[in-house]
Amino acid sequence: MSGAKAALVLFVAALFQLAVLTEYHPFRASSIVLVALLSVALLRGSTFGAVAGFGTGLLLDTATLGTLGVTSLLLTVAGFWIGRYGETTARDRFHAPFLSVAVVTVVYSYADLGLRFLLGQSAPAAVVTHALLVALLLNLLLTLPVYALIRRLFPPLELGGRVREVRLLG
Amino acid sequence: MARLAQSVPRNRTVRFAVLGNSVQRAAAPGYPSSRSSAVKRRIIVGGLVLLSLVLITVSFRSSALDGVQGTVAGALRPFEIAADRVSRPFRDAAGWAHGLASAKSDNRKLRTQVQTLQQQLIQDEGAVNENVQLKAQLNYHGPPSLQRFRRVSAAVLANPLTALDESITIAAGSDDGVKNGNVVITPQGLVGTVDKSRGSISRVTLLTDAQSAVTATDLTNPAAVGVVRRGGGGSDVLVFDRVPKAPYVGIGDTVITAGSVSRALPSLFPHGIPIGTVSSTSGNDINIFQTIQVEPFVNFATLQSVIVLVPKR
Repeated sequence: MSGAKAALVLFVAALFQLAVLTEYHPFRASSIVLVALLSVALLRGSTFGAVAGFGTGLLLDTATLGTLGVTSLLLTVAGFWIGRYGETTARDRFHAPFLSVAVVTVVYSYADLGLRFLLGQSAPAAVVTHALLVALLLNLLLTLPVYALIRRLFPPLELGGRVREVRLLG
Repeated sequence: MARLAQSVPRNRTVRFAVLGNSVQRAAAPGYPSSRSSAVKRRIIVGGLVLLSLVLITVSFRSSALDGVQGTVAGALRPFEIAADRVSRPFRDAAGWAHGLASAKSDNRKLRTQVQTLQQQLIQDEGAVNENVQLKAQLNYHGPPSLQRFRRVSAAVLANPLTALDESITIAAGSDDGVKNGNVVITPQGLVGTVDKSRGSISRVTLLTDAQSAVTATDLTNPAAVGVVRRGGGGSDVLVFDRVPKAPYVGIGDTVITAGSVSRALPSLFPHGIPIGTVSSTSGNDINIFQTIQVEPFVNFATLQSVIVLVPKR
């Protein structure tokens, strides 16, 4: 059920990104797909995040007739990494989604640049550096509503399990 | 349960653990943390990364996946159109509000422009008629013009996704006769070339991409021939490069595509597509070429529809 819900959420986010956000030049730097994916990964863990990232990347690469696998690779790693962060240290921390989005926005931008450079495509580092601050700000602004919505759709699993998990050893 | 709550406070400290009240919280059920789960997790992620690398290799080196990609992209098109239609009223409202704010000053500016252009039109019509007559008399064969191309109009499905991306996706593909390398324009000027063409959609590499370049000439001074390409740095400015110092290019001159008459290496671009106006020129004693910046006619950030030029058979 969670898988189908995540697929639907990320599909809608990808459509919104492709058909709406890219129409407005200032929003080209932002990525609602990345924010939605990281929110899902934080709430559902690393494996879920990696699979969701792979699927979303494939969808974006297909819809834009880009080189298949490029966005998949980046989003798989991003989903897995933030999923692990969610599983280990980020539980119940208010700053976790914001920190995740900020760090991944920066790393994703330069990883995309590096991958394009390796593939022999145009990779002007100055463009990424100039757009980074705007991307960071917009993604952080998107984080609050997107994470709140996704948290509603995917309630944290650990809350139900916490009481049952406490056991006395001594 | 109540006794457990009394003996083990929620905010227990290290001191409690040392004193023997050892309580261990196991991982939540949603986050598998056993050794087998960790191995499973690594296998899944490793597999996905490997699959991504295989996809990159196959997609980059061959066209084996092009058919599948085209079919899936075609299947996604109705969803993209639906999303576009849903968002259009909001976009129109924003455009209307923006237009209202600048309507008065725009109106004044446009009225002045219309008067100037009307005078220019009369002069140009005379020149065009004279040009046609002279060409016929001389049996002149020039570079291919726009008349040799069929025009395929297409909506823009997706503008560039990221700051690095300098390509758009359009709703016309090989089914409409569009092929790789076809030139894409708007009524304002040159946009770019078709990079990938599938069933009903195509990807267009914009002129602002670092790998795009077009042979161009100055409309006022046709002897000034050079290459228009993206300038360095992070800006979207175009430069008119490789123009010798001798034929002077002035600020405000119109730059158009040069085309070519060579049959061995014909230019993809027909002659006479407007590119932009010269915004600045400079030069120094060391450089044998002028440094010319061009302000493009096309606003690459807000493309809604384009025209693909398909050569007539």
